[in-house]
Amino acid sequence: MSGNGNVTLTIDGTEVTVPKGTNLIEAARRLGTHVPHYCYHPALSVVGNCRICLVEVEGMPKLQIACNTEARDGMVMRTRNERVEKGREGVMEFLLINHPLDCTICDQAGECKLQDYAFHHGAGVSRFEDEKVHKPKNVSWGDRVVFDSERCILCTLCVRFLDEVAGTDEVSIDARGDQVTLIVKADGKLTSPYQMNIIDLCPVGALTSRDFRFKSRLWFMQFADTICTSCARGCNTTVGVRDERVLRMVPRHNADVNGDWMCDHGRLHFAIANDDERLSVPRVDGRGVPYAVAAQRAADLLREAGDSAAAVASPFMTNEELHVLKLICDAAGIEKRLFLNPVGPGDELLVHSEKSPNARGAALLGFEAVDQDCEGVQEIDVLLYVTPREGIALPETVEARAKRRIVFAFHEREADVLFPLTTWIEKDGTVVSAGDRVQRLVKGFSRFGSLLTERAALEMVLQALEAGFEPAATPAQAFERVAAALAPFEGLTFTGVGAHGAPLGRQEVPA
Amino acid sequence: MSKIQEHRVMLKYADDPEQATLAGYRHNGGYKALEKALESMTPDQVTEEVLASGLRGRGGAGFPTGRKWQFVPETDKPKYLAVNADESEPGTCKDRQIMELDPHQMLEGSLLCCYAIGAETAYIYIRGEYPHSIKATERAIEEAREAGLVGKNILGTDFSCDVWVHPGAGAYICGEETALLTSLEGNRGYPRIKPPFPAVEGLWRCPTIVNNVESLACVVHIINNGAEWFKGLGCEGSTGTRLFCVSGHIARPGVYELECGKFTLRELLEDFCGGTGTGRPIKGVMPGGSSFQVLTPDELDCTFDSDSVQKAGSSLGSGAIMVFDDSVSAVEVALNIAEFYSHESCGQCTPCREGSDWVRKLVARFCRGEAREGDIELLMDVTDRMDGTTICALAEALVWPVQSYVRKFRSEFEAGITRRAAEHEFGGFSKPVESVP
Amino acid sequence: MRPVSGNGKFSAELVKRVEALWERYPDRKAALLPALHLIQKERDGWLSDETIRDAAELFDVPDMHIKGIVGFYDMFHGQPVGRHVVRLCKTLSCKLRGADELRAHVREKYGVLNGETTADGRFTFKCFECLGHCEVAPMMLVDEEKHTELTTDKLDAVLEALA
Repeated sequence: MSGNGNVTLTIDGTEVTVPKGTNLIEAARRLGTHVPHYCYHPALSVVGNCRICLVEVEGMPKLQIACNTEARDGMVMRTRNERVEKGREGVMEFLLINHPLDCTICDQAGECKLQDYAFHHGAGVSRFEDEKVHKPKNVSWGDRVVFDSERCILCTLCVRFLDEVAGTDEVSIDARGDQVTLIVKADGKLTSPYQMNIIDLCPVGALTSRDFRFKSRLWFMQFADTICTSCARGCNTTVGVRDERVLRMVPRHNADVNGDWMCDHGRLHFAIANDDERLSVPRVDGRGVPYAVAAQRAADLLREAGDSAAAVASPFMTNEELHVLKLICDAAGIEKRLFLNPVGPGDELLVHSEKSPNARGAALLGFEAVDQDCEGVQEIDVLLYVTPREGIALPETVEARAKRRIVFAFHEREADVLFPLTTWIEKDGTVVSAGDRVQRLVKGFSRFGSLLTERAALEMVLQALEAGFEPAATPAQAFERVAAALAPFEGLTFTGVGAHGAPLGRQEVPA
Repeated sequence: MSKIQEHRVMLKYADDPEQATLAGYRHNGGYKALEKALESMTPDQVTEEVLASGLRGRGGAGFPTGRKWQFVPETDKPKYLAVNADESEPGTCKDRQIMELDPHQMLEGSLLCCYAIGAETAYIYIRGEYPHSIKATERAIEEAREAGLVGKNILGTDFSCDVWVHPGAGAYICGEETALLTSLEGNRGYPRIKPPFPAVEGLWRCPTIVNNVESLACVVHIINNGAEWFKGLGCEGSTGTRLFCVSGHIARPGVYELECGKFTLRELLEDFCGGTGTGRPIKGVMPGGSSFQVLTPDELDCTFDSDSVQKAGSSLGSGAIMVFDDSVSAVEVALNIAEFYSHESCGQCTPCREGSDWVRKLVARFCRGEAREGDIELLMDVTDRMDGTTICALAEALVWPVQSYVRKFRSEFEAGITRRAAEHEFGGFSKPVESVP
Repeated sequence: MRPVSGNGKFSAELVKRVEALWERYPDRKAALLPALHLIQKERDGWLSDETIRDAAELFDVPDMHIKGIVGFYDMFHGQPVGRHVVRLCKTLSCKLRGADELRAHVREKYGVLNGETTADGRFTFKCFECLGHCEVAPMMLVDEEKHTELTTDKLDAVLEALA
């Protein structure tokens, strides 16, 4: 007996203690044992319809479904033996008899649980020789999701997600027996701003992304575990890249931030990373120059201007980038340290009203949030300005208040010194997300090979201002410098922040 | 004259045309049990009496009714009774008799149950294909409501109970108790995973008892006459009288009220019911609806009661006895059964959704004389893999009879294998089988 | 009857009856099955996508929930039906007493297969699973009337009397 609201059971011969109420899939997970499942998801209601999670429980005459069986004290459970394998093999065979053999053209191939489990639990041959049931294929569910009813295994994860999490209840089931199919509401279009999560949830290739469809085989892609920068939530994501292009972004589990979900807006917001028209080299007076030349020119302008310069930072910059910018301001004597802080409507699930990833970091590093009027900036000599992101920028009239301009931007434009701006997927660094949580951006690739991040470019400017400054050798070192400079970061390390982030320390973040 | 006599308790006044009215029912002693319970028994005493009577559910599963009632927990939540009048098991037509001929009896039984479990609302879920039962029951409820037998302060006591008819709309699975509840709540009739059991979490997550019509009719007589009287009828394990529906190839088809344990199945069919009536011998008997195993002529000498028929390898199920003579292809009967379950599978869980129609397709192949070597083994294996792996018992209700047909009429299945088709009387069935979508 | 209350899509009488049904359950959705029977009757015996949308509005549930219900229950028709619906039982007890022959007869004489409607729109023919009149098999339900111990002659007499 294990008391304290815990129970102890034996799984495949090993004892494990879990909290009362834990189901057998989760109990086995504690031991690193994977009980196969399709319809079960820890964040959704349990329906027990796929039947693949069959396990043997001593004292029960029939195999039990692990998803709906609660761990009990003294329970003896087996996830692997001949009887269990035979049960699973049977379920696999039933799932496959009416499933089309179109893995060769299916987007899910490589991350398909039907393929995986067929390999591990299937018999390898089909004994079904009759006509398969035919159902609608390539059905449009609106702009984002495409449905293939023949591939669908009716696990209803999508139905339950839209009903229980997204709250839009817009997919249901029609017909009966082996004719059952999913249906969406009358106009056939999903409306949920979270609808693309059902693509991730779908364990097979029944729901595919219109955006990603047929773009790449999984095994040709590389992946970066980073975060979304569309708002302050900082949903953890995995970005799939190939040939210096972002092909897709999907949510990555983080119980403290986004659970298993992300909004469609964030997920689809990566076009700029793939933009071929982006600025690829720095420019001085419109001519392409090496970074060192641009950095020297920027340093000269800033030194001359002194406190008649202003810095307008971007809340899309990492803490490390902002920290270098702060040091530049210190070195050049710039007092006006601002950042554009885009805001907009949020929702109750994930979407935050701050439409940038790092307004908190910018504030911590001494930059003042301003709106686009930037009233504090009047009649200055030099403006050092980092553009936030496409669609969010200082109006020309505000820029025009400065005689000279040093600008970080994605595209060619007028400026005395112009640095190429990089996207979130091209850099390593940290931000402070909602809930004062430090999270890491992880680089997926470097665009054009030669593109430097804002941190590296700013470090060159700082070096030109201060001969003694040494750029950080690694992202970890850059982080250490931030942590050393800011009290709330005390105790945090780059490795400690890791793939899932860490909460800020003792001090309150200024509003 | 057969030695078997009907013993009519529930159907005692079935031939009285006035019995369906409140006046007629009361004239014949109706609502005396309710008066007795409300005047002189506590709810627990009612449950105790039912438990002591040995009454087992008459819907097919045979679970002791009183025990079920005892599972209702003490709680502040509302409690419900859902009367299972979704009589859909092939061959079953007994609850219909009660509802059409004596609806007050079901109503009185329902009120007794509600009193015992502390429910203030009962829904009578009647299958949509029973328009006459729906009308008769609705009329009975209206009459009872006007007479103060349904509604607030029944018979002037503290006991209040509303009763409503809830029509189904054509889905066999809704006779499965959890599917009935899902359906009643306004959904596709999907069975629920257990636990929780309905007695703990049923309608709207409140404690709910689901009882068959005939079971509730029995309760009236148990309260009127006492548990001892009820136990004196029938035999151990099959107490009281039971309604049996005899159909198919039988000289005297009908619904009969009988005491179990007093005669054999063969005596019932050959003496009491007059044999097949076709001049040909019995070939097969399904003694408990289509969800249990077929019995062959050599298996009919078992005593006619739940336990003995179970020992013989089948079950009395819902009390539906279907008989066929030797003019019938066993493979074709198996196909009719497979078609039924494949059509009725709700499609929720994998083995049943995918397996039921696979089984139908396989049996159809035998029927057409197009089966292949190994198909018998395949059929047995596929059905094996459906057995015990699903949410509800519908898969087993397909598996058990189909497997029993293969085991007991194997030569006919063998004849369905292509190269042997021409060699057998029933091989290569002459009529094309029209598939029913 | 002119629509006057509810969401303005159904007759006042129907809305009144649906509102009475709502009183019976702690959750209005529970009245869907009984209400859909009434609605189907009012809308020529079937539930079109438009009717389903109207009903969904009345009940304030998503339309595909009702569509899913219509697709689940055999008595709800998602396609137009004839003036009468003939449901012939095809399950074992009826089959053993001639249901197959009746079915073949309907096919030959009236030219309709399971699920089809006669050319004159008089009736839709449906093979149903066990209709629970096994002791008086074979049987059929024509709308809400039952006809038992059928023979082809008896079936003809019933069908020919249909308007």
